Amino acid sequence: MAVLRFLARPLSRRLRSGYGWVDERAGTTSMLHKGLYEAVPKRGGWAYALGSATLALILLQLFTGIFLLLDYVPSFSQAYDSLHYLETSDRFGAWVRGMHLWGAYVLILVIGLHMLRTFLSASYKRPRELNWVSGAVLFFLTLGLAITGAMLPMDNAGYWTAVVVTNIPHYLPFIGDGIRSLWRGSDFVGPVTLTRTFGIHIWVLPFLLFALIGGHLMLLRRHGEFGSWVNYQTDTDDPEREITERILRAEPPYPTKRTGRRWAAPRDTVDFFPDQIFKDIVISVVLIAVIFVMSYVAGAPLDERADPATLTYVPTPEWFYLPLDQMLLLYPSGYLILVGGLGLVGIGALMLTLLPFLDRSHARAPLRRPEVIIPGLFLALVVVILAVLGANRLFNL
Amino acid sequence: MIRQTRRQALITGTAVGGAAIALMLSIPAIGFVISPLFQARRNSWVRVTTLDSVPMETPTPFRVSVPIDQGPSTDPVDRIVYVVRRRGGQVYVLSNTCSHMQCNVHWDPKLGASGQFLCPCHGGLYDITGLNVGGPPPSPLPPWRHRISTLPDGSRLLEIENQYGERI
Repeated sequence: MAVLRFLARPLSRRLRSGYGWVDERAGTTSMLHKGLYEAVPKRGGWAYALGSATLALILLQLFTGIFLLLDYVPSFSQAYDSLHYLETSDRFGAWVRGMHLWGAYVLILVIGLHMLRTFLSASYKRPRELNWVSGAVLFFLTLGLAITGAMLPMDNAGYWTAVVVTNIPHYLPFIGDGIRSLWRGSDFVGPVTLTRTFGIHIWVLPFLLFALIGGHLMLLRRHGEFGSWVNYQTDTDDPEREITERILRAEPPYPTKRTGRRWAAPRDTVDFFPDQIFKDIVISVVLIAVIFVMSYVAGAPLDERADPATLTYVPTPEWFYLPLDQMLLLYPSGYLILVGGLGLVGIGALMLTLLPFLDRSHARAPLRRPEVIIPGLFLALVVVILAVLGANRLFNL
Repeated sequence: MIRQTRRQALITGTAVGGAAIALMLSIPAIGFVISPLFQARRNSWVRVTTLDSVPMETPTPFRVSVPIDQGPSTDPVDRIVYVVRRRGGQVYVLSNTCSHMQCNVHWDPKLGASGQFLCPCHGGLYDITGLNVGGPPPSPLPPWRHRISTLPDGSRLLEIENQYGERI
């Protein structure tokens, strides 16, 4: 009887009451409200879109990566053939492969911009230290995904990338040769190298990546986007009182309490939905459109089949590894390779990760903390110069 | 007091159970991951050339089909064996694997006084005996593990094993 009465109603009412039934049990509406109706600062909205664009691009990599599994065979003797088939006989498959490559390129650029934005606005300061630390680790995981992905095609580029990259751990004292053997399967690159790298690329690193993204987003929601340096200027003679009032005016649930003297709410806020999410989608659409077009026009290159006995092929790194490759030239011979190639890079990566604990000042405006901004931008410049030098050396620009 | 003890026992039991699961999962998994360290290499000898056909004082590359020493059986892969015969009678059987980043070096007769091995990746240089003489390489070119035997007809046969004579 109840079923007949339900079916007798008009469709719109049926849908509404059907949703009501689900909502009563699953709490979807309150979950949506919690997710969408969040006060975010009005200023900086376009810059914040870099973070959501990073997420969108990572999801694009997951999506295109799943589809590549429809064709790719992780076998030392067949990997190349499977991709060669894709490139020559399956236009849409080649397109998807192109999107996976161009998606990776754009992703690395956008993560760089996202980090630069966070660095300039000092958004990593208390209480957001762990947002930065998790973000830095996410950046390294992305680089790991990029380099393991580059090995998989087993064309000349992929094979020689595998040789050079799996050889790097060998410079670590004591355990280096062991790590190289574990990764390669023996002293040489072979079938075991490919299956292990494939496993790392499609499960190990993505699993860590998505787990950490969950944490990164949880922290973002916990602390909100409030507190970039643009929001910390006070106008009255009594900044304490002004900040207290502004916190009271801010939409719940952020900020729920003051965590320090200079911890304040922004003057103007907008709702995450639809104000911020519109900006997010605009940036993501532009970036994905670039990927969509470039992957069709330029696609992803596939060299000749891997030839371990080639005397003419010149191994070249992907553009985002050019700075590291160029650095290797600076450290000739012996232990200097360890010190310069691994030690300095490791210290740099550690300093990048621990930036919130190195920059302890309360200042947030870039001009008020030159002791952090100048070395940071100098290092960024060095990385760019190394990349240009490397590109010039390898490609004779 | 009794409640507290029971609660404590349940917590300890949960921790012990979790640790037991972790142990049972990690022993086979870690053993699987580190198995290449303990697996016997499938070594085999392959013919390169007869020595007398190699020109003197000229590093000559031979493309040799070498069995892979790891994993499931697959087709052999081609590797380069540079054979160098010196006038003094010494024979060098070099791989073309740079000791720096393991890129593929080649002999360039125009380099140096009478030719050098050049690595295209970072410009490493080696002399005719494989000794590192310039650029970043930390050690000489690794030689192939090799043996020379005299055939019934008097010619000398050069064979290599699918391993380097020195680890780089």
